[in-house]
Amino acid sequence: MTIPASLYAPRPCRLLETSDLTPQEKLFRLQLADDTSLGHQPGQFIQLSLPGLTEAPISIASSPTRGPVFELGVRRAGRLTSALHQLAPGATIGIRGPFGRPFQLDALRSGPLLLIAGGCGLAPLRSLIQYCQDRPEEFGAVHILYGARSPADLMFKDDLAVWQRSDRLDCRTTVDRTPAASCYDGDTGLLPELLSRLDFDPTDCRAVLVGPPPMYRPVIAELRRLGLDGDRRIMLSLERQMRCGVGKCGHCSIEHLSCCSDGPVFWLEEVENLRGAL
Amino acid sequence: MLKQLAEKDLLRLLERIATRRRLLTPQRQSDGSRLLLPWPGGLPELVGTPLQRKPTEIFFPQLELLMELDNSGDVRLPVPADKPVALLGLDHFDLAAIAFLDRFFLSRPTDDAYLRRRHDALLVGLSGLAGPQGATLPPAETCDLELILVPDKLLARPHAKLGEELLAGFTAADPTALRAIDRSPAERPATLLAAARLLQEDQVPEAFWEEIAARCIACGGCNFACPTCNCFGVQDRTFGNRTERSRLWDSCQLDAFMREAGGHNPLGTETLRTRRRVYHKLVADPLRWGELGCVACGRCDRACPTGIGMLALCEDLVRR
Ligand SMILES: Cc1cc2nc3c(=O)[nH]c(=O)nc-3n(C[C@H](O)[C@H](O)[C@H](O)COP(=O)(O)OP(=O)(O)OC[C@H]3O[C@@H](n4cnc5c(N)ncnc54)[C@H](O)[C@@H]3O)c2cc1C
Ligand code: SF4
Ligand code: SF4
Ligand code: FES
Repeated sequence: MTIPASLYAPRPCRLLETSDLTPQEKLFRLQLADDTSLGHQPGQFIQLSLPGLTEAPISIASSPTRGPVFELGVRRAGRLTSALHQLAPGATIGIRGPFGRPFQLDALRSGPLLLIAGGCGLAPLRSLIQYCQDRPEEFGAVHILYGARSPADLMFKDDLAVWQRSDRLDCRTTVDRTPAASCYDGDTGLLPELLSRLDFDPTDCRAVLVGPPPMYRPVIAELRRLGLDGDRRIMLSLERQMRCGVGKCGHCSIEHLSCCSDGPVFWLEEVENLRGAL
Repeated sequence: MLKQLAEKDLLRLLERIATRRRLLTPQRQSDGSRLLLPWPGGLPELVGTPLQRKPTEIFFPQLELLMELDNSGDVRLPVPADKPVALLGLDHFDLAAIAFLDRFFLSRPTDDAYLRRRHDALLVGLSGLAGPQGATLPPAETCDLELILVPDKLLARPHAKLGEELLAGFTAADPTALRAIDRSPAERPATLLAAARLLQEDQVPEAFWEEIAARCIACGGCNFACPTCNCFGVQDRTFGNRTERSRLWDSCQLDAFMREAGGHNPLGTETLRTRRRVYHKLVADPLRWGELGCVACGRCDRACPTGIGMLALCEDLVRR
């Protein structure tokens, strides 16, 4: 009998470099130990494994156009992610994947893009933003709207600065509140307000949303008000507890769908009427 | 071809099976229940109440070692057992549940942990007058060979090449012997189908779920007893430099089942969890697999301490 390669066995990766993104989030640069490319597409995730601490799903935060080194932006949330934050370059980390349905790039090439992220949601969107940066001829205007709690919570600040300087990208940030002594010069308020002030052409425009659960409904309502109505206009990436990443463990189900393998990226109309999806 | 097995033939058949396989047969316990256990020799207890524990646990056990990891990143997978297993005495419910899990775990991407146990396993079905108090069990055909109990006789019919090989040399039976029993195929209970329809049409009021949920003590028994439940969690145990990573059954009736690290919980109330238990089998599974995820075996009804197993709940739902 030939048993197929194990669905559950992690592949070793080398941790090349880490850096702080915010007080609770770090960037990890990794490469597969056999130096091959991960072979992912923007929007996909990996299952990150540490012996003794099981696994956690983490979005791939860099674009496949950037070669075999890939990056993760990870928040210290619990046991596994805290242990990860303690690791130094040179450490070995296990990964499985890439898994999941990626952002539907073909549908995003037709017109202007609104890439909207809240909190940790910028990690998967960064993969798509880098992809757009590296293949500018394939995409129309790209508007990035990123919301965080406070200026200190903005992830990927170096990238944000580069994107804000770029002529090809329009990048705006907003925070819930600005402390008195802050040199932050972006907007304050929630994402729908930032969106309502944006000047863009809704014809053929597509929006991609990734953020915490409370973000979706208000942002979707605003997008519709601005003219993004009808099918295949709004794409979103959903988060669930995930144990296997491959449609077997049952933890990530959204009614009859498995978030890990039917998603995590969905068109809005695929999930909007499913109980508990948004 | 239909065969007829005298007692000594049945024993010969079991010996044949046991030369190449680890044979499990039904054995009666002191409380009258029957369990699938390694064949101790002698005649198996074919007649009686349904197998107490779900036979799918042989292929998807409560706790299963997935691999051993060491800190350098090396992974060691478990070695498949040197003898594949043979399960004897499976009724049509058991076989339907195994077929359900086969499709679930073996459809792409193939679950290698399940396949390691399932591959080359022999399934021996059981039908005819083998139910409790001589009740008739419907045909049990999705197996390698089927034992059929008719008045005064045990018949055997192969359903696959392996079954044919195992039955070679035994006396042919007169096919009319089957006319002595009811051979109508098993059908799912009407209340289950009616409840599924109501759910599919979104006609179940929220108040129904609230009321049922109020009775649930979140023991997980319904899930753990169910032969088609396939949800699992993952657990690591570390011994020095070596970690054992295992999977273990999980229950959607427990609060932590879907709770995310950030606190968001899409199944954050007993009501949502109760609805999920039923919805998943009666609506989600048909959408995904074209078939109800409940084979109507009744195990959850027997396990549930508060009387809200699947069949009881469906009856209640349809009655209202
Ligand atoms: C598709 C996807 C992409 C993601 N991308 C990122 C990313 O790019 N960056 C990032 O920072 N985060 C990301 N996350 C979130 C990240 O997976 C979680 O923060 C991470 O799992 C936390 O792991 P932990 O071990 O540190 O947390 P812990 O809280 O220790 O928990 C580990 C896991 O076990 C679950 N759990 C907790 N308690 C129990 C219990 N009692 N019983 C059973 N299970 C329990 C948790 O819900 C969690 O999934 C993503 C999640 C998904 C689904
Ligand atoms: S009756 Fe209960 S235990 Fe049996 S298959 Fe249906 S849900 Fe599972
Ligand atoms: S067996 Fe009954 S009480 Fe226990 S979790 Fe299931 S429905 Fe609730
Ligand atoms: S994470 Fe296991 S089924 Fe989706």
